[in-house]
Amino acid sequence: MTLLSQIIQYAISGITSGSIYAVIGICWSVVYLITKVLNFTTGEFVMLGGMLTWGFHGAGIGLFPASLLAVASTIGIAMVMERIAIRSVRHPSPRTYMMLTIALASVLKGGVLLKWGSETRKIDPIFSTTVLHLVGAAITPQVICVIVFLVIVTAGLSWFFHFTLFGKALRASAFNNTGAMLIGIDINKFRLFCFGLAGGLGAITGIITAPITFTGYEIGLLTGLKGLVVAIVGYWSIPGTVLAGLALGLLEGFCAGFLSPELKDVFALLVMILFLILTTYRVSFWRKA
Amino acid sequence: MMRQKTGIPIRMILFALVIFLFPFLIPSPYIIGVMCFVAIYGALSLGKAVLMEHAGVFSLAHPAWFGIGAYVTGMATVRGIPPVLAILIAAGFVALLAYMMGAPLLRLKEYYLANATFCLLIIVEIVLGNMGSLTGGHQGLIGIPPFSVGPLTLKGDRHFYFLFWGLCLGTLWFFNNLLNSRVGRALKTFNDSEAASMSMGINIPQYKLKIFVITSVMASLAGSLLCFWLRFIQPSMFSIPLMVELITIVIVGGGEVLYGPLLGSFVVMWVRELIHAYLGKVLPVMTAEVDALFFGVVIVLILIFMPGGLAGWFEQLIRIGWRVRERFARL
Repeated sequence: MTLLSQIIQYAISGITSGSIYAVIGICWSVVYLITKVLNFTTGEFVMLGGMLTWGFHGAGIGLFPASLLAVASTIGIAMVMERIAIRSVRHPSPRTYMMLTIALASVLKGGVLLKWGSETRKIDPIFSTTVLHLVGAAITPQVICVIVFLVIVTAGLSWFFHFTLFGKALRASAFNNTGAMLIGIDINKFRLFCFGLAGGLGAITGIITAPITFTGYEIGLLTGLKGLVVAIVGYWSIPGTVLAGLALGLLEGFCAGFLSPELKDVFALLVMILFLILTTYRVSFWRKA
Repeated sequence: MMRQKTGIPIRMILFALVIFLFPFLIPSPYIIGVMCFVAIYGALSLGKAVLMEHAGVFSLAHPAWFGIGAYVTGMATVRGIPPVLAILIAAGFVALLAYMMGAPLLRLKEYYLANATFCLLIIVEIVLGNMGSLTGGHQGLIGIPPFSVGPLTLKGDRHFYFLFWGLCLGTLWFFNNLLNSRVGRALKTFNDSEAASMSMGINIPQYKLKIFVITSVMASLAGSLLCFWLRFIQPSMFSIPLMVELITIVIVGGGEVLYGPLLGSFVVMWVRELIHAYLGKVLPVMTAEVDALFFGVVIVLILIFMPGGLAGWFEQLIRIGWRVRERFARL
C-alpha cells in the first residue's frame, strides 16, 4: 500500500465515522435545544437500532421489515422514556436530568445485555457487498450509504426547521420556551416529538453502521459521547455539527492510522476536554478586548 | 451563622462503638465482608455527596480518582515499595492530577463540567486498559502483596473491616468538621446565593478547587485500601457502573446531610447482595452492568417519588415531630 492510498483509506474511514458522529450530534442538539435535557441515552438509541434489527431478523423477519420494526420500537421507547421518566421528575435541573438519563442509559444497556448477551453481532448490509477501488483504497457501498444518509438528514432537517410551520414552532420554542408557550405552542408535544426524532435517527444510524462496525450492547456509550463532543464543538447548530463531525472523524481516522488504533477514542474525548477548557478562556479573552 | 463546636459529637461516638462491636456480635464472615463494602462505598460516596450537594460541583470523575489511587498503590507495591509509602505516593499523585485537571475544568458550568469529567472517567479507563506492561491491561493487575506495616500484616476480612470503617468514620468526622468550618460556611453561602457570596469577597473557584482536590484524595485513599483487600484490580471496576452505583448511593441516602451517603451505602450494598442472591440463578449473566440496570431503575424511581432520599425523609419526619411537640407544648 502506498502512502497516498493509505491516506485516502484513512480519510474515507474518517469521513464515514465523522458522518455518523454528525448525525448523532444532531440527535443530541435537537433534544437539548428544545427540552434542555442532555440526553445520555442518545448513544443507546444507536445500539438499540442495531441490536433490535439483529434480534428481529434472528426471529425470522426479513431484514428490511426487521429494521423498520426496530426503528419504530426505538422511537416508541424514546417517547415512553420521555413521558414516564423525564417529564415526571420532581425537581427538574440540569443535574437531575443528567443523573436520570445516565440511569436510563444503563437500564437500556443492561436490558440488552441480559436479553442478548455480550457478544458483538453483525447485520448483513441491505445493499450490495461489492467493494469499489479508488487509488488502491477500498470503499464498500455501505460507506456511501452512510454519507448519503448524512446528506439526507442534514438537508431534510434544515428544510423542516426553516420551511414548515411545525419546524418553525420548534425553533421558536428552542429560542424562548416561555414565549413559545405564551403564544399557544404545546411544548409537551414538542418534547415527545424531539425524543422520538432523536430515537428514530439514532436507530437508523445504528442499523446503517452495523454492517461496518458491528454492533453490541456496549457500543452506545462511546458513539454517543463522540456525538456529544461534535454537538458541543459545533455549538448545537446543524451546519456546525456536520463540520465538527467530519473534522473529528478525520482526526480520529488519521490518529488511528498513524498513531495508535487503541487510543483513538482518547483523542476524541481529549478534543472535548480541551475545547471546553478553551471556551472558558475565550469568554474572558473577549471581555478584555 | 453560629460557629459550631468542632469536637466529636456524642452520636458519632455511639455509632463508632456500634460499628466496633458489630463483628464480635455477628461473627459471620459473609456479613462482615459486605459491611467492608459498605464502609468503602460509604467513604467514597461521602466525598461525592460533599462535592455534589455542598460544593455544587457535579463531577462524574470520582471513580477515576478511586481507580487511579488503587492502581498507583497496586503498581508500586507489586514493584516492592512498602504499602504505607505506596498509599502516600498514590494520594500525592492523585492530588497533583486532580489539581491539574480541576484548575481549568472547574471554571465550567453544570452540563459542561459534567461532560468534561465524564470524558475524563472514560479516558482513564481506556488508558489503564491499554498500558499493558505497566498496569496489566484489561485483564487486570494481579499479585498485590498483603497490607503490612512493619511486622504487622493484615489477614482476613475482620482486620480489613476495622481498617475500612476507620477510614469511613475518619472521612465522616473530617467532612463534618470541614463543613462546620470557614470553608463549609463559605460553600453554604455560595449555594444560597452566588452573587451575594462573591460580593462578600469569598473566592469561590478557589474553595471549589480545594474541595475537589480533598475529595479526590479521599477517594484515592479508599481505592488504595480496596486494592489491598481484593488483591486484584481491573480497569472496568472503576468505570461507568461504579459511577452509576455512587450516584445511586448518594440519591438513595440523600446528600443534604452527612449521614445520608452512609445510609445509602448500607441500603444499596445490601440490595445488591439480595439481587445477587435471588436473581443470580435466574439471570444468564451477572456483571456490574446488570447491577447498573437495577440501580438505574432505583435512581429513576427515587428522583420521581422521593427526591430528598432516605435522609431527607428522616429529616422531614424529625421536623414534623418537632412541630407536633410544639403544638402540644402550647396546649
